Amino acid sequence: MTGGRLHPFTLLAIAGALPALAWILPAPAGGAWTATVALVLTLTPGASPGLTSTGSSPGWRPGLVVLRTAVLTAAPFWLFLLLLHDVPTTIAIGLRITTMVASFVWLVAALQPARLVEAMVAAGWSASVAYLLAATLSAVPVLKARARRIVEAQRCRGLSPGGGIAARLRALRALALPLVLSALHEVDERALALETRGLVPGIRRTPLAPPPDPAVEQAARWALLLACLFALFRRFV
Amino acid sequence: MRSLTLESASFWYPATEAPALREVSLEVAQGEVVALVGALGAGASTLLLVAADLAPRVTGGRLTGSVARGDRSGIVLPTPWTQASGMAFTVWDEVAFGPANLGWPTHEIARQVDRALEQLELVPLASRDPATLSGGELQRVIIASILAMDPGLVLFDEPAAELDAEAARALWRLIRLQAKEGKAVLLATSALDALPDVADRVVWLEDGAVRAIGTPELLADVAACDAGLGTSVASVWWASGLPGPYPLTVAHALQRWR
Amino acid sequence: MSIRLLALIPVAAAISLALSAVVDAVALPLFLDTTGTILATALAGPTVGIATGVVTSAVNTLRNPTFWPFVVVQIIVALYAWVAARAGLFRSFRTAIPAGLGLGVIASVTSTPISYLVFGCTTTGGIALTTALGKALGLPPLGACFFGSFVSDFGDKAVTFALVTSVLHALPRRTAARFPWALRAIGAA
Repeated sequence: MTGGRLHPFTLLAIAGALPALAWILPAPAGGAWTATVALVLTLTPGASPGLTSTGSSPGWRPGLVVLRTAVLTAAPFWLFLLLLHDVPTTIAIGLRITTMVASFVWLVAALQPARLVEAMVAAGWSASVAYLLAATLSAVPVLKARARRIVEAQRCRGLSPGGGIAARLRALRALALPLVLSALHEVDERALALETRGLVPGIRRTPLAPPPDPAVEQAARWALLLACLFALFRRFV
Repeated sequence: MRSLTLESASFWYPATEAPALREVSLEVAQGEVVALVGALGAGASTLLLVAADLAPRVTGGRLTGSVARGDRSGIVLPTPWTQASGMAFTVWDEVAFGPANLGWPTHEIARQVDRALEQLELVPLASRDPATLSGGELQRVIIASILAMDPGLVLFDEPAAELDAEAARALWRLIRLQAKEGKAVLLATSALDALPDVADRVVWLEDGAVRAIGTPELLADVAACDAGLGTSVASVWWASGLPGPYPLTVAHALQRWR
Repeated sequence: MSIRLLALIPVAAAISLALSAVVDAVALPLFLDTTGTILATALAGPTVGIATGVVTSAVNTLRNPTFWPFVVVQIIVALYAWVAARAGLFRSFRTAIPAGLGLGVIASVTSTPISYLVFGCTTTGGIALTTALGKALGLPPLGACFFGSFVSDFGDKAVTFALVTSVLHALPRRTAARFPWALRAIGAA
């Protein structure tokens, strides 16, 4: 299964179903099964299209990077669980968390944002929803860089972030206020910009390159949903 | 046919007492390039926002008088990087963003986008990620993306601000081409030397009101030079104390000397 | 929803996510990850606030998937902030800080079951250690988990409310007047 060629909604369905099943199915077998599937997914070719575009062999190497990311993200939770719980509980919860982490790490590696936007538009979603995610993703690094510049500038003016709690809170205010105010000032510019590009609430945008959505994938998504509901039913009835 | 008509239009930004525009009356016809000139804060950008139906609808505030638009408008803001969609991963997709939002069929979108890319000499950059472009390249992409929406009234606010001299010359040629194709163009710029070749009329704004309307010869008037709104040649002539009338361009100055 | 409020949402969400750089600089045990949600609600009402909270959680999830179950907390925060804005509680630190402490309690109560059932109280190292401390003090497991969340949320939400109050009062009148709830939130309308 190459994540890069599946419809974005199928990727989302898989990434959502695996953690759901990890929690619904009886532990630890359920979690072990779903964690295994999720970790194997991280090894699939096409799980990290950005890396394969560097010209290196599109074999297993990119998948190892994704697997490593998933394992390193999940590892601390196992340590903290051991600190707080007995071994069986640690294994049960640890496998569930590993499933969640591995599923999402795989999703981020396999999901191309452009394809997701096109899929949402083709499915009739408002382009505004896609804009919200895309605009936030592009705004965060800009604001973080601005925050670092503000910290440097205030330090040059003698602001010391050390000292007691009260002094640190004053420093926090001196650093955060310019950042937030400058960001709010941009809202007007962004609103104007959206209007100039025709992105207004309620529009029906033309999908430029909608990803193909074969019937078999649509059926698979429904099957995943039914599987989760069935497992839930069996668990509690 | 008139693409834009303002009659005694006045505009106040929210919670301000002084109007940003005062009793402005102006018409822009199809096939015409009208340039707005003035000192900082004269109201040129505000006038463009009113013409684009963004003020007061998006900016808030109060508008009196009347504004009639015969065409759909497209505006290039003075900070074009804010107009980038953030949702496109190639220049082609970025330019297609606006037409797609208009709900056009894909073949029409492709036609308009390809045309705009060619007009702005962006075809070699079509598959580039907009995040990797220089300021000047991004400005041209945004201009292309506005033109790809095929507006009948095209509004430019300092469109050459990020461009080098060659790119700016290409832009002025493009603006004349837009007028030749029947579009109405309203342009705010401080690039006064370009206006004799670009603009059909010049509107001098001062404190939100129209001080004068005329041909580009207006930029060689004593009053304009006094206000710092003369072309370079006229300003040098004025500054050196030579008698008027001042020449507008180098060619005019050469004619005077011969 | 107007285009202006649509433009506010990603800016507010990005504020929540970018403030970590400031928190790191002052080395305080805070998150401030609901700042944008509370600010957006105080400026523009609960719909914009909830949307900001959901977007914040979604973007955070791309970085760390364990954030997604806590989207419920962001929604509760937005609703609480709306009640506070309607009552004009952002008019001064005297009213905002107690309101923030109240939110700290509510956020802890909301996040504890999620943290306990989904993560076994291991969402962060700090919470895990504080939970271990609670267990050592003889608290039952759920109580220890609440103790961990409470220690982290109580002060964080009070500081967040104080910060949002500062921002609302520092906004130029002309800018504040453009947001439907801003003046009411500071008791000026």
